[in-house]
Amino acid sequence: MAKGNNGAVGTYILIVLILGVITYVEFAIVEYPQAWLGQTWTMVLLAALSVVKFLLVVLFFMHLKGDDRMYSGFFSSGMVIALATFIAMTAMFILPRAMNYGEARERAAALEGHAGEHGEVHVPEDVAALIETDGASRPLAERADAPPPLDRSVTIEPPLAAGDEPAYEVTGAAEQAAAPSEPAGADAPAEAEDAAAAQRPETEAPGLQAEPEAAEAEESAGEDAAAAAQPVEWDRDMGAQVYNANCVGCHQGAGQGIPGAFPPLAGHAAEVHAEGGREYLVQVLLFGLQGPIQVEGMSYNGLMPAWAHLSDDQIANVLNHVIVEFGDEPAGFVPYTAADVAGHRGDGLSPAAVLEVRDQLGLN
Amino acid sequence: MSAHVAHPTDVPRVDGAPDQPGTRGMMTRLGWRSTRLPDVKLLMWVFLASDCMMFGALIGTYLAYHNRSLVPPFPVDVFDIPLTTVSSFVLLVSSFLMVLALHALRIDDIPKFRLWTFGVALFGSIFLGFQVYEFVHFVNAGLSIHHNLFGTTFFVLTGTHGIHVAVGVLWLLGFLIQSYVRPTSSKDAVYLEIAGLYWHFVDIVWIVIFTVVYLVEFV
Repeated sequence: MAKGNNGAVGTYILIVLILGVITYVEFAIVEYPQAWLGQTWTMVLLAALSVVKFLLVVLFFMHLKGDDRMYSGFFSSGMVIALATFIAMTAMFILPRAMNYGEARERAAALEGHAGEHGEVHVPEDVAALIETDGASRPLAERADAPPPLDRSVTIEPPLAAGDEPAYEVTGAAEQAAAPSEPAGADAPAEAEDAAAAQRPETEAPGLQAEPEAAEAEESAGEDAAAAAQPVEWDRDMGAQVYNANCVGCHQGAGQGIPGAFPPLAGHAAEVHAEGGREYLVQVLLFGLQGPIQVEGMSYNGLMPAWAHLSDDQIANVLNHVIVEFGDEPAGFVPYTAADVAGHRGDGLSPAAVLEVRDQLGLN
Repeated sequence: MSAHVAHPTDVPRVDGAPDQPGTRGMMTRLGWRSTRLPDVKLLMWVFLASDCMMFGALIGTYLAYHNRSLVPPFPVDVFDIPLTTVSSFVLLVSSFLMVLALHALRIDDIPKFRLWTFGVALFGSIFLGFQVYEFVHFVNAGLSIHHNLFGTTFFVLTGTHGIHVAVGVLWLLGFLIQSYVRPTSSKDAVYLEIAGLYWHFVDIVWIVIFTVVYLVEFV
């Protein structure tokens, strides 16, 4: 000890007092936010205080100050590698999100400026989604208040009134022609919904805003062979490519899954589709699925992530791929189109709500 | 942890062996040594450097998955800053007692060395108690290690830190018990010193976790 006994202890007492004060300041900054400091400077200040504490402990409690430099050298090399790892991870995972967000805002601002001239705002869906969620998995407002995500699975929008154009094109020209010929009148919306429910009593799924239209589309497609005579083309190459890029890791090359870990798609997807799960399958891809499920007698309790970042085309084609390519093509299967997917983007379900849809389909 | 393993401070140099100019080494009765540093202490610093990398990776992983959980509870739902601040104070005080214990052993003040070492182990145990309370509270709030990304990364990170604290407590208690079994003096200070280095390292890791994981969440 270079210092006398009392001197060394005195230093320790001084250091621990400083450390205590800094810790309290950190606590106070967070617990009683200072408006004048601003968010960025609060972050900077917290980081700086943390570094000061770190250095005080290392230099004085661990005696690196005044000790042999070889110790500092070894420790610093470890710190440098740790920091490099940290920076690399930040660059790979955190910065891209932040940059995406910034870019989305710029694009939106440019579009708004453009709209000022032409009186019409059209923000592409992917941009709107990015703005809404701040580039993260949850919308901004939810992150601010931090309530659990609202369960919106029972929200049923009023069906389209007669004469209204459907929000999107369902499958082909035949249905478009059929839609306006539905009975019109004050009670038409309720009737249409009742009719749809009656036609498919087991497949009633909440949260499907466009259900009457979709049900009707399926009905007419199934009944009217002439209307369905011309098969809807879909992009088999894109389906296979999307599957191999995103799904194959868990659900495996032939859709056989991994028993106990990831459910099989081969056969199962077609079965779900046949039992009225056409919209449900779209929702699983858009919003994910979480919770206990039963597939072919085996229990699974995992998390299917949401794939909403894929385009409508990609999701439609990969669904077709999964249903058609992993077994015999189901009779009367009408391939998904981008419009089928687009119609569900606004459903706003949570992975748990999708599970409820599954339960209501009687698939568990 | 024998007090009789030779290290350079114990081993006198061979009489008349000259220092080699331009080197840091010295000749001892055990042969030429390239440094004059105690091996155990150098080894501890190397270990701490490697531990830095592990915690760097764990904290980086926590941040990479930050805000990506799909289902609640989220960090802001469960974190309790006043509670965590108190447990941070506890760990700081234990670090302070650690240097007092080492200082007491160096000046052969054995009663104080025992008192402060016991104090370190006690405060470390209190910190662990806070952590156990926090973990139980989180699990009751529905956050388990496999519940969502936050739970996974949080429990792996703070759990690894908690295991470090527990190892440190056991190490210091062992040191304390040993001092009753066989005579302990300032000659053993280097062994208490490396235990102390480990303990302070656990403290600085918590300093980083407290800021990066807990405080920044509420800014």
